Amino acid sequence: MKQAEVLAKLQEVFDGIFLEKVAAKPELSAADVEEWDSLKNISLVIAVEQKFRVRFRVGEVEAARNLGEFADLIAKRMEP
Amino acid sequence: MMLLSPRRLAILAAAPVLPDRHVNDAELKSLALSGDTAFWGHLAARSRQAASFSELFFLSTLRKKAKRHATESVQTSLRLALIGGYNLYPLHELVEHLLAIRGVECERFLGDYDNFVSEILDGSSPLYAFKPDLAFILPNAGHCRFSGSLLDAVEYQREAAVGAAEQLLNLAQTFIARSGAAVILANLALPGDLDLGSFRSRTLGADWSFRKAVNLELGLRAPAEVQICDVEFLSARRGINAAEDARAWYESKQLGSPDFLVDVAQELSHLIASRKQGPKKVLAIDLDHTLWGGVIAEDGIEGIELGDSSPRGEAFKAFQKYLLALSERGVLLAVCSKNDHARAIEVFEKHPEMVLRLEHFAAFKANWDPKSDNLQRIADELRVGLDSFVFADDNPAEIEIVRQFQPQVEGVLLGPDPAEFIGRLQAGRHFEPRNVTEEDLERTAQYRQERRRTELAATVTDMPAYLASLEMRGAIKEFDSLDLPRIAQLIARSNQFNLTTVRRSETEIQGLLRRPDYLCFTMRLEDRFGDSGLISVVIAKIEGGVFVLDTWLMSCRVLKRQVEDEIMNEIFRLAEIAGCATVRGIYLPTAKNGIVAGIYEEFGFIRTEDSTARKEFELEVEKYQMRSTKISVTRRAYEAS
Repeated sequence: MKQAEVLAKLQEVFDGIFLEKVAAKPELSAADVEEWDSLKNISLVIAVEQKFRVRFRVGEVEAARNLGEFADLIAKRMEP
Repeated sequence: MMLLSPRRLAILAAAPVLPDRHVNDAELKSLALSGDTAFWGHLAARSRQAASFSELFFLSTLRKKAKRHATESVQTSLRLALIGGYNLYPLHELVEHLLAIRGVECERFLGDYDNFVSEILDGSSPLYAFKPDLAFILPNAGHCRFSGSLLDAVEYQREAAVGAAEQLLNLAQTFIARSGAAVILANLALPGDLDLGSFRSRTLGADWSFRKAVNLELGLRAPAEVQICDVEFLSARRGINAAEDARAWYESKQLGSPDFLVDVAQELSHLIASRKQGPKKVLAIDLDHTLWGGVIAEDGIEGIELGDSSPRGEAFKAFQKYLLALSERGVLLAVCSKNDHARAIEVFEKHPEMVLRLEHFAAFKANWDPKSDNLQRIADELRVGLDSFVFADDNPAEIEIVRQFQPQVEGVLLGPDPAEFIGRLQAGRHFEPRNVTEEDLERTAQYRQERRRTELAATVTDMPAYLASLEMRGAIKEFDSLDLPRIAQLIARSNQFNLTTVRRSETEIQGLLRRPDYLCFTMRLEDRFGDSGLISVVIAKIEGGVFVLDTWLMSCRVLKRQVEDEIMNEIFRLAEIAGCATVRGIYLPTAKNGIVAGIYEEFGFIRTEDSTARKEFELEVEKYQMRSTKISVTRRAYEAS
């Protein structure tokens, strides 16, 4: 899956999780969104793992520096 | 770090079936954003049932959002410290949400990760500066290991487990002694490792068996003031594989999977909310399709399903056995059924498979009146407030009608499948005792004795002769640590004969024992029909020569038996010994304690303060006339027995 496709699906996850409208863009990071605290982050990871049917390995999500890298990680874990 | 630490989704527990789920996510969201007050009821109902992190998180977010539009009804506030061997973030957010929907607003203190031992031992730590009302201590299970060999003698291993349990209990007690706060201490989740195979059960040295032993010792040795949060049980109930989460531990030192945090938060908030508000007292129950299958008025005694000859009959019988166990534990059972009285009675008297018999019920209403009216009659008969009632029925329409006309009564919908009845009744968590006291085990018998007293009263013509014929014996005693659970229970539960309704936790009551300026006593009563147990509590404070009655409460079961007179005699006897010239009574009116509004004036007290919220009365010690009663008092407070 290409990064753009992943981001489009991530937008659906965002719409279910964030109360404000947050656009899923590659350069976005948690610091840009007021309601994106570590509690929300847990929910986000759970939702992403469910939506994309992936499972991240220990430490991976933390290493992603922005949403673009996170989308790449998702795509990588989706590979068979 | 850009994206914050994640949790894994180990095995996502299947979303639970929610029978009472009236609104879906989208509807709830729109209620929240439109500021509709109906939102709060739906939010509370769904939050209590939430078993997954995602759902509870969604609900918590909505609550924060809706709070900007409206203020929640906050009944109490609590200074809550969470300390332990795990990262307590974000557990605290879940706890905070689940307390908020129960009307408890939190000020909180989060201990540093794995720093709880020094936080407790160092009297100058921020934990004490926070002045908590309650601390939740969550020790790290992984750190609790047997340090010797797998082959050490079992007795040696057991001693090590006892030592580990004692160490945790000592910490809890040190904290209580220093802070005066209450403690909820978590025990240890068991590990799901396959390591050691079947050998693990042949030693206490394995993590699995050692932690089990520590947990057992912890529970059995915990003093009454240390409440245990059974994390082992919670983890077993969810399933260890679903509760554990190695990734979450490595990434952010979490106790377990996100969903398991929900289990612990649900349990903790339930324990906290039920600390000062005792369990329900009465279970009012339907008959047809509830205690047996079928309708007695149509199917007849031979036609109803009950007993071991069919699977459904067996399930109804098992439900009756469970109700019997509740009754033996002190829950009063009452029949509340739309039914033909004679046909209903006949089942209890004649059906060979009936577990419950008429003697197990404190009240029996089978007629064609609305159930809400019958519930009121039962409450009047038993002298128990409707807010102590649970009503269980298979029919959603009856539950709904009772909800509308008697909103204080908690309804439990048993549904169509008798195999689920016990689970559904337990899910409400209405009858969980903080402590089981001897009085609980005796309660149904006591109500039966009460009926025999009433029968006697009907045969004796005058009141003094009736009271004399009861052959009452009273024992008055200063607070005794052995009585603490029962004292705490009465303080938490008494609503009607309760002058000030001051609620105190067991820890707070324990604190009074050390205060020279407080005199506290209890009274027990027995008569020829049986033992009523500990039925009255008085807490008095000596303030500059005045004997101030901070708390006086009495079980309504012993009303009009001159217990009040003996209590007042004792109050004035102690006041005189304490060198007080005056006794001051306080009455704080509530919706429920109207029956004692005039009691001080009946004893000759003069009203000295009279505002809507507070009345005070005084009587000089030398003016009080000791009352003579038909109770023979065998012991008095602060005297050797």
